[in-house]
Formats: sequence, structure tokens, C-alpha cells
Amino acid sequence: MKTLLILIKRNTKIFFKDRGMFFTSLITPAILLVLYTTFLKGVYKDTFISNLPEGITFAENIIDSLVASQLISSILAVSCVTVAFCSNFLMVMDKYNGTVKDLTIAPVRPSVLASGYYVANLISTLIICYVAYGISMGYVMLIGSYITLSDAICLFLDVTLLALFGASLSSVINFFLSTQGQISAVGTIISAGYGFLCGAYMPISSFGDGLQKVLLFSPGTYGTALVRTHSLNGVLTELEKSGVPSDVVTSFRDALDCNLYIFGESVSTSVMYLILGGTVSLLVIAYILLNVFKKSKA
Amino acid sequence: MNEIIRIEHLHKSYGDVKAVSDISFCVREGELFAFLGVNGAGKSTTINIMCGQLSKDSGKVTLCGSDLDSDINSIKGKIGVVFQSSVLDPVLSVYDNLQSRAALYGIMGKAFKEKLSELSSLLQFEDLLKRPLSKLSGGQKRRIDIARALINDPQIIILDEPTTGLDPQTRKNLWGVLSDLRRSRNLTVFLTTHYMEEAADADHVVILRCGRIVAEGTPLELKNTYTGDYITLYGIDEATVKTLGKKYERLRDAYRISVENTAEATELILKYPSVFRDYEIIKGKMDDVFLNVTGSSREGENRI
Repeated sequence: MKTLLILIKRNTKIFFKDRGMFFTSLITPAILLVLYTTFLKGVYKDTFISNLPEGITFAENIIDSLVASQLISSILAVSCVTVAFCSNFLMVMDKYNGTVKDLTIAPVRPSVLASGYYVANLISTLIICYVAYGISMGYVMLIGSYITLSDAICLFLDVTLLALFGASLSSVINFFLSTQGQISAVGTIISAGYGFLCGAYMPISSFGDGLQKVLLFSPGTYGTALVRTHSLNGVLTELEKSGVPSDVVTSFRDALDCNLYIFGESVSTSVMYLILGGTVSLLVIAYILLNVFKKSKA
Repeated sequence: MNEIIRIEHLHKSYGDVKAVSDISFCVREGELFAFLGVNGAGKSTTINIMCGQLSKDSGKVTLCGSDLDSDINSIKGKIGVVFQSSVLDPVLSVYDNLQSRAALYGIMGKAFKEKLSELSSLLQFEDLLKRPLSKLSGGQKRRIDIARALINDPQIIILDEPTTGLDPQTRKNLWGVLSDLRRSRNLTVFLTTHYMEEAADADHVVILRCGRIVAEGTPLELKNTYTGDYITLYGIDEATVKTLGKKYERLRDAYRISVENTAEATELILKYPSVFRDYEIIKGKMDDVFLNVTGSSREGENRI
């Protein structure tokens, strides 16, 4: 157990001290921040206002809070996965530069090494995402927060679950990588693509029907939906309280991916949790099996 | 001395390529053993099999009295490896690097601190403990690599081209440390190197070519078998050298004659005593042995 703890410390320290790995993991959240500050903020604000019925009065900051909540939900949903992938590149780098040989010439069990990578990856991801969560909550409060305590707790749980999903998915995918070229390719795909795939850059509802159906089979989509739901629930409820008709608010929820529909049926948050939790379990089992299979092959 | 490494009929192929083909040798406890060969001769494959990093096709490998097939973890606990290039973590401090590697052997807490104190004093890196590995010079990094290899008190240390890229002074210092360790701990050193002067100090040498052992013995035996002797004659003219009827080479202020062995040199001296007034007899070098055995001989170059 102590060996595992020291390995976790080693892996976590390397991630935070390796500027390349650390800053690469922050590229996607940075892209989102730039997109938001340059034009998305204005576009979303105008869209929301234009869709509201005339003659309704509500607090001035409510639309700003809606847009800010959308931004933080996107950043949190993306960070949990991209940070996990970048942090887990250490496992590949160790193979590439031969460090893994230095670890495996010692009489240490392969399961301890594999667990060391997984837990360190999860810890690094959680540290960054919890910091991002704290900053996000602070930012929304500054704008004018409508997030309730229960939503804030749920959001914290969502971030934790998504980080688990990111750590598990990256562990399975990175298991097969062993060169720097492969790291670059996967890093680029994840950094550039995941934001679109999970609906962080643009809501999935704005995509075509075919693509929407495909993305609904991606477990990450449900993670994003959970984060969106708990970030936006308070502000959307406040809009409803202000007199915006419930069908308009529902259309906002649909447009912002708080509501997902598969085969015409709405997916409840408990089912979203089940899908995400189930996927994490399956990925962890796959990671264990991969390591067991590799050991018996060797 | 007891045998500490025994390799019997080892085979390893990658597809159609036979990386190691039926090699057998043994190393005695406390020996400096040189394992030589050109790149691709099968040295690294053999080392990787010995360390449990690579599976063998057939053959038997016994290290420290344990069979590789049945007791790999026991073997891993008794060997230390210095890789060709440092595989420690460059962003971490020397302390963190050694702490993480020691933990792999279950050396933690007070035991680690005692071991670290002993090694840092022995290899003189007490002042480097807090520095990141990436900020160290080549020689300093090598000392840390050796400390990592010794962290588990191994009985065998495997050095895979440990001095490649180091300046002569650093190489000399490292060999000084390794010689002290051999003496004080009866450490067996398994060395691969491209510097033949390092192999010349070995107790036993094995030379590989295309996955097979092509020569083995002590450096003296190899020199006697695979190279001739050289007699350097001073203070005579070329016409006198020609009377000896041997191949010779003109040096700046002398002539060098090649003879097959020391017996032939003695015979020549006794036959032409007047020619041999100022001379020296030198045995062939390990470089010559290596080049002759591996088929890359340059013997005869610049001969007149």
C-alpha cells in the first residue's frame, strides 16, 4: 500500500511539474474562455433575449447569469475529460522514454503500477477540476448566482463523476499508446474534438438529427447534460418565476442540453447518473482486464 | 568463487531474426564481466531476458541461485541496472526519484533515509538531493543512476554502456566508484561497453556476433588468441629493420614490427641481438581483439 502511495505521489508530482503536460491539459478550457469572451457571450445573450416573450420584467443580471452558467458548465464538462487525458499521458511517456523498464525491473506487482497511474490521474484531474469548480462558482456569484445549494452539491458530484469517467476512458485508450506521435494525435483529437462531441462548444441540440442520435450513444454527452442541468437549473427556474411561460423555459432547457431525448423519450437525471456510473464501472473493468491480459501474455 | 550468473543454451528470435542463438556462459561472484558485441549482436536482448523484461524462446537462466522461470521476483530484488541513458524522471528532484524507486523494493521511511544517506555519501551527491534531475550534468546524472541501481543492495549490477557520452575525467571517476564497490561489497559487475579499455580490466570477456558467442576468455587469453604482439624499435634505420624480414610500420621516431606472439618476439631478439638495443614489446589491445573477432578488423591499415 505504501509503495502505491509513493507511486501516486510520483505520478501526480510529474504531471504538475511537467509544464508541457500541465498546460496542454488546459488548452480546451482556454479555447472555451476565448470563444466566450470574443463572441459567444454576445451571441447567446442576444439569442436568449430574442426568444423571450415581450412584456415580461425580470432581474437585469438574469440573462448574464444564464450565459455565465452555460460557460462554466461547458468548461467543467470539458476539463474533466481533457485534463484526465493529458495527465494520463505520463503512462505513455514512461513507455516511450523507457522509464517503465526502470519500474518493472523491480519486484513490484504490475497491478500496483497500473493502480498508481489510475489513481494519480484521477487525483490530478480532480485537483484541477475542483479548482475550476471553485473559480466557476465564484465567477457566477460575481455575475449573480441563482445556483441553489443542492444544485451546487450535485454539480460537485457531476464533476467528480465526469473526472472518474475521464480517468477511466483515458486509462483504457492510453493503455494502447506507446509513442510520442500517438500521444500528439490523441491529444489533438481530444483537445479539439471532445468539446464538440460532448456539446461543450455548441449544444448538441444545434446539431443535425443524425449527429444528435450518434452523440446520444456517447456517455460523455450525459455527463455534460448533468453539469448543464445543475448549472442552469437555478437561473432557469428564476426565469420561470419571473413570468416566462414554462414552455419557453422548457425550450431553453432543450436548447441548452439540460433535457436529452433518446428515441423520443426524455432521459431523467437518475438515468444519466446510471449511464455515466455504469460506463465508469465498465471502463475500470476493461482497464483491469487489459492489465491482467498483458501480464499473462508477458 | 561461486557462479552468480549462469546462462545455458539461450535462444530468442524476433520472427525470422535470431537475436540470441544458443548462448551459454557463466559469471562468478565479484567478477567484472564484459559482454561485448557490435550494435544488434544480442547484448540488450540477453540483458532484457536476464532482467525479466523479455521472454526467452528456450534455454535456462539462473541468477543468484534462482531460476528465472520460477523465481523472477527474487532475482529482481537482487539485481540493479544502469541503463544506457538515464530513465529517471527529469522533472523530479534527486530525492523524489530515489524515493519512488526505493519504494518499488519496499524500502521506505527510515530505511530509505538511511540508504539515501549511505549512497549519497558514497557517490558524493549530498548537495544534489533537492535539485531536479534535468538540471544535473551528465556525470552527476550517471552518479544518480548508479545510486538508483544500488538502492536495493543488489548482488549483481548490470551496466549497459554506462560511460557513453561522458568525458574521460567523469568516466575515470565513475570507474573509481565502481571499483570501490566491487571491493567493498563483492559486487558482481556485468558490463556492456564500446570502450575496449574498460573491457581490458574485466576478469572475463564474452564477445557476441549475430547472436552467437564468437570469443570468450580473460583479456590476456583473448589478446594471445586474437591479436599479435608489437615490437617497437628505436634508434635504428629502415635498412636494418628490413633485415628482420618482418612486416613493419614506420612511426615518427621508431619502427613497429608485428609478430604473432611473445615467443616469436623472443626468438627474433635472440637471433638479432644487435638490432634490439632500444625496444619495447607491447601486446595487442582489446580494440584489436574486438575488431578481429567481430570481423571489422583494420589490421594492416597504414602498413608499409
